Amino acid sequence: MGLEVKASRELQAEVLTAKLCSLCGACVGMCPYWVAHRGRIVSLDECNLTQGRCYVFCPRTSLDLDLLSETLFGSPYAADELGTMQQITMARATDEGIRSEAQYGGTVTALTSFALEQGLIDAAVLTASDENMLPSGTLAASAAQVRDRARSNYVAAPTLAAFNRESGRDDVQRIGVVATPCQALALAKMRASPLENRNNIDKLKLVIGLFCTWALRYDDFARFLAEKVPLGQIVKFDIPPPPANIFQVFTDTDRVDIPLDQVRPFIRPGCDVCLDMTAEFADISVGAAEGVAGWNTLIVRSDAGRELVDAAQAKGVIETEPLPEQNLAHLKEASFHKKKRGLKKVVETTGSEENLLYLKPSSQTLTGLLA
Amino acid sequence: MTSITAYEPGASQLLMGNEAIARGALEAGLGFASAYPGNPSSEIIGSLAEVAREMDIHVEWSVNEKVALEAAAASFAGVRAIVAMKQNGLNVASDFLMNLNLTGTSAGLVLVICDDPAGLSSTNEQDSRPVAKWAELPLLEPATFQEAKDMTKWAFELSEKIRNVCLIRSVTRVSHARGDVRLAELMPPGRSARFAPTMLGQFTPLLVTLKHNMLHQKVKQAREAFETSEFNWYTGPEKPELLIVTCGSGWYYSLEAVRVLGLEESVGILKLGTTWPLPEKLVQEHLARTEKVLVVEEVDPFLEGNLKELVGDVFSTLGPLTFYGKRSGHLPTVGELDPDRVMTAVSTILGRERAVDADYAKKSQELTQSMVQNRMVGFCAGCPHRATLWSVKNALKLDGRGGFVTGDIGCYTLGLGPSGFFQLKTVQSMGSGAGLACGFGNLGKLGFGQPVLAVCGDSTFFHATIPALINGVYNQANFTLLILDNSATAMTGFQPHAGTGASATGDPAPSVDMEGLCRSLGIRVEVADPFDLQETTEKILDFMRCDGGVRVLISRRKCALVRAKAEKAAFKVWVDSEKCRGESCGCARLCTRVFQCPGLVWDSEGQKAKIDEVICSGCGVCADICPASAIIREAA
Repeated sequence: MGLEVKASRELQAEVLTAKLCSLCGACVGMCPYWVAHRGRIVSLDECNLTQGRCYVFCPRTSLDLDLLSETLFGSPYAADELGTMQQITMARATDEGIRSEAQYGGTVTALTSFALEQGLIDAAVLTASDENMLPSGTLAASAAQVRDRARSNYVAAPTLAAFNRESGRDDVQRIGVVATPCQALALAKMRASPLENRNNIDKLKLVIGLFCTWALRYDDFARFLAEKVPLGQIVKFDIPPPPANIFQVFTDTDRVDIPLDQVRPFIRPGCDVCLDMTAEFADISVGAAEGVAGWNTLIVRSDAGRELVDAAQAKGVIETEPLPEQNLAHLKEASFHKKKRGLKKVVETTGSEENLLYLKPSSQTLTGLLA
Repeated sequence: MTSITAYEPGASQLLMGNEAIARGALEAGLGFASAYPGNPSSEIIGSLAEVAREMDIHVEWSVNEKVALEAAAASFAGVRAIVAMKQNGLNVASDFLMNLNLTGTSAGLVLVICDDPAGLSSTNEQDSRPVAKWAELPLLEPATFQEAKDMTKWAFELSEKIRNVCLIRSVTRVSHARGDVRLAELMPPGRSARFAPTMLGQFTPLLVTLKHNMLHQKVKQAREAFETSEFNWYTGPEKPELLIVTCGSGWYYSLEAVRVLGLEESVGILKLGTTWPLPEKLVQEHLARTEKVLVVEEVDPFLEGNLKELVGDVFSTLGPLTFYGKRSGHLPTVGELDPDRVMTAVSTILGRERAVDADYAKKSQELTQSMVQNRMVGFCAGCPHRATLWSVKNALKLDGRGGFVTGDIGCYTLGLGPSGFFQLKTVQSMGSGAGLACGFGNLGKLGFGQPVLAVCGDSTFFHATIPALINGVYNQANFTLLILDNSATAMTGFQPHAGTGASATGDPAPSVDMEGLCRSLGIRVEVADPFDLQETTEKILDFMRCDGGVRVLISRRKCALVRAKAEKAAFKVWVDSEKCRGESCGCARLCTRVFQCPGLVWDSEGQKAKIDEVICSGCGVCADICPASAIIREAA
């Protein structure tokens, strides 16, 4: 089947106007037309091309899961809840400093820093927020810079714009990206793209995926939050496991709990049609370990991911524990539900099981979910 | 260009219609001239300004047409005065005019209105002539360049005879074309100006009905003078099969049409130079000798209507008459006329075959087109408006709340087209951008949530924006006024204005502080450099986001053409073709396809952008829009 090749106009119509955009940033930073501004992707002028990277890279256009899986893992798409997986464990940074600053077990921070220190990568694309809580992609070249940005961010960020912008630099040859599932998908699409312009994707050496249930719109959520907490003072967000049902906002001195139901209206509509909770197209994926404070869930997917995790373990940068059976079951259930919800939303939108928007209906997973 | 005083009396010289009008005024002993620039009228006061020092007379660019007319009422002090304006300007001046007609004047006061059929350089093609009827003021319409001069001179005499304003109506093809004019002697004005009203001769319209009645008497006097006017003449057979009644630009077209069709023996032409009030006796005589009348005039059937009105009064003395013209559908009711259209009308009415090729007009147009470079109507190379509107476009897109620009009149009006990225969404009259914003900016409680960005130029700001701005402040309208200050009245020929520090005659003048004036209203006022695209975009975004009340952002850069006359280019700009991405993904010719500065051209052979060094003004703005940094800007 391959990836469908269209361009800017179709991206606007099929993704932006259709409200499917996930704000991954894959279309931004390559040309003067597409820009990200305060949580929105904006087309500044009409591009007249019929083939564009913007359309091909978008995780909300023409998603041939088998092709992506073949490209990344050398095998067809794993038609199960968690995607291609070599191993699943609990993990955490051994460095207590990292653990205390980072979300959960600090595994992402530890592995990214380690990859930089070992020279597996020479730069990492991360997400950081400014004093107004506006997140964007940023390039970290040292462990210290990585640790500075070790926070979960619930506001959608066009992080890949930074990859697109910075990957052309001569002083950057081996890039790692800490990516949400949609961002990991876009990076996989860059790898599988049939376009002549490779977008420096060959420099991409590592994708650390983050579990993600949804992300929030910036503009109105920031306005909503600013009425409760001065945005500049926020240091961290968290959503404790059910049944808490709250969104926690931490400042240096305080914690504000907001009922999750008040936050949900700010979820981007583009998240409603997402089927990927665990960043299935990353080299490794990391999320919380539900109910086990200070630990992460770690999924090793690719050989590159395997090597990184093994080396980090060997050097004592991270430590692992088996993931309790009950956790695995919960994770699978949650992931399955996200797929089902997303698919249902897609079918609701098109009114037909034959038209699944950006999803290729041939995939077995999807057929199973529809049943 | 030679000045209009440089010609020897008695000589025949090639003059633009507007220069001929100015010359006529000087031959009449003009002492005072004022106008707000507006095409096709601008060269009248423009050419007088050039000789003001030499003739020792007062010539000024006024801030708007109403003030210009009020100032020209210096004629009350016994000084012959002329005021010129385009058709839109007349509307601005009409409040004063509709009282001035009752007031009258003492020395000659001539108001020249230059209409623009087809709106070649205007937002409308208003036919101004009904104002003569409305205001009951005599109206003259020159058909030739000689007449343009001679009529102006005579208009002062008529004005003094009836002690009221005399109107001259020109059109683009008379004002802006050139022809031979036989000159007479220049007459210096008297030097004893003095305002001397008497108890009964006060310059007020009160007592209204009395003054109105006096106005009727003045019209009667004018009509009598018109009956024997040398500006009305007839050519053709004693009893024409068809009588063409025409005026102004229509006369040449009629003449050419009759000659080309070879109908001199059967079609007569009554050319009227005095079109209101009609010289009724003269007209009646000619109507009595024919059965068919074709009225040829631009734009509205004004003369046609007046002729029919007259016929309605005197029909018992006339034979059966059929009228042809705009109302019968024989001539178009919009746009300009030309000989071809008149030929079509005449041959249709007379049932004659047209002796000329049906494609005559089309072919001549094609021939002309082949001689000029095909270029889009748009901003000049290096125009600061292009840069400002680029930032406006980006800021509105980034803001994303459906914000829009209410436009105004000036070079930047072109911003409604591709050259300004289609940013102006409304265009009406001078100052209307801010006026409209006063309305939109107060719709918040009716569900309106779009940012409103009003634009105006520096000259337009002084002309008519200030009242709208004050209204916005007072009524707490929510909008941003973006003043595109290019330090000139650029559209009409770079005339100076109240903010430029120079007078019409080129002498130093106080410069009105636009920022200080706005700040005195207690509102946020900032200045941006349009050539700094990023800063300007951010400022516009910030101004739009800071909701509530009026705020003013002045985007200031001198007009590229004005600057080019005084300064060297700031940068040498060139394209590094190695870096240029051309049509590929990542650019798609942003500079030559979207930004579209005429100084940047697409080399279709090399598939790269390049600079046209002849046209490039060296502003360097394009270097900032190139996504590949392929446009290099070096200090010149």
